[in-house]
Amino acid sequence: MSAHALLVEPFESLAFMRAALVACVALALSNGAVGTLLVLRRMSLDGDVLGHAVMPGAAVGFLYAGPSPTFLSLGGLASGLAVAALAGVITTEQARRDAGLVAFYLIALSLGVVLVAWRGSNVDVMRVLFGTVLAIDQRALLQIAAASSVILLAIAALYRPLAVGSFDPAFLRAVGARAPYRAVFPTLVVLALVASFQAFGTLLAVGPMLLPAAAARCWGLGVAASMALATGFGMVASATGLLVSYHGNLPSGPAIVLAAGLLFGLSLVATNALRRLTPIGRGA
Amino acid sequence: MLRDVTVRYGRRTALEAVSGEFASGSLTAVVGANGAGKSTLLAAIAGVVQLADGAIDCPARQQLAYLPQLAAIDRDYPLTVSELITLGGWREFGAFRAPNTALRARAAASAEIVGLAGRLGRVIGELSVGELQRALFARLILQNAVVILVDEPFAAVDAQTMSVLLDQITRWHQEGRTVIAVLHDLELVRARFPSTLVLARRCVAWGATETALPAMAA
Repeated sequence: MSAHALLVEPFESLAFMRAALVACVALALSNGAVGTLLVLRRMSLDGDVLGHAVMPGAAVGFLYAGPSPTFLSLGGLASGLAVAALAGVITTEQARRDAGLVAFYLIALSLGVVLVAWRGSNVDVMRVLFGTVLAIDQRALLQIAAASSVILLAIAALYRPLAVGSFDPAFLRAVGARAPYRAVFPTLVVLALVASFQAFGTLLAVGPMLLPAAAARCWGLGVAASMALATGFGMVASATGLLVSYHGNLPSGPAIVLAAGLLFGLSLVATNALRRLTPIGRGA
Repeated sequence: MLRDVTVRYGRRTALEAVSGEFASGSLTAVVGANGAGKSTLLAAIAGVVQLADGAIDCPARQQLAYLPQLAAIDRDYPLTVSELITLGGWREFGAFRAPNTALRARAAASAEIVGLAGRLGRVIGELSVGELQRALFARLILQNAVVILVDEPFAAVDAQTMSVLLDQITRWHQEGRTVIAVLHDLELVRARFPSTLVLARRCVAWGATETALPAMAA
């Protein structure tokens, strides 16, 4: 098999492969930035929880209008933001947040599955859980592109408060930054997760966001460079995953997440090896 | 100026009905046992925690600088020493504008005061605990505040760093700024701090160090 047949032909001949690739690249653009901030804030678990928080709302959207991307997204956005707000309240009131987060995660996931299974089929449940990256239509593509653009512009505009808020939130409050920056970031995460929802489903949506960012973070770069590298990793993982799923007849969402996971593993191994070769690396 | 300042965390009362006044230009040490509400008092003055009761009247709130305990900073964050110090000029450049050259020069100057001139390009993760505290003091210098609050600034730093930081605190006092520091070393308080506030959830004693500090031993 020639390189052309292996790498280019699937995208050349099949419109749904092209749409999937464009959607994944658009998602990688926003996920690189959001994921990097998520990793830097040590909020990976929160991201996972918010991914499941999207589920009940999306399920209500499904009950109302069937598998329409618009209603799934609107419902998901509403319940994701509601849980983010609720989690914010719980966090400020008590320190025991891990148990609270896991409770949200399980309740939201189960509620969503019950709601979808109530009116839908097993296929619908699978679709909501794992997404349908190969069934992205024009409207869904436009929604993903719009959400990614909004997220990137918001992060570009609010980059400094978001960055300072993640390593020294007390300083940000003490210098009197009044805008509710603490609420801005979870909102962006929910928006990014809803954008990924159709392609990757509620269980995997956080994967293409977190794994490339975690891989990029291994290389010890600055914040902006980490974001750019994470975006690049995300795009490489998308193309690789789609091709592997096409040639191997495998589910494409999980294949993309696995490709991103492979990049994370390789980054870990490579940076550890580099550190061993140059012992005068980053000190303790 | 504090009036009946009360702070609660859930059902636990951290500070109860503390009243008194930090004179403008004074240098005050806040002492007390662990859990006496020292850090809470500083955070309340800085406006970072909410009061359950009472009021804090601070005309200089807009020109206040606050350095919490070291543990509050995420040292894994990929930030250089120079960037960290320059953040002291936040009120001048705000959330959106870039810091100008004059501010960068002042950042370099304050790094020199705390002895970090050669480390401006380092990532904060590479600094020792003492060096990080020096960098945070440089950020405080750049903030150019009228009221300066520091919470256990000498915890876990070596003697040399401590002497540099202590000199800076004395310099602030000489410049007429109001400085409030949470401290544990009573000998140090006796030697270098004119005023002392002894806390045990309530205000136990407040005044000149030689009269207030003995309440700590009692």
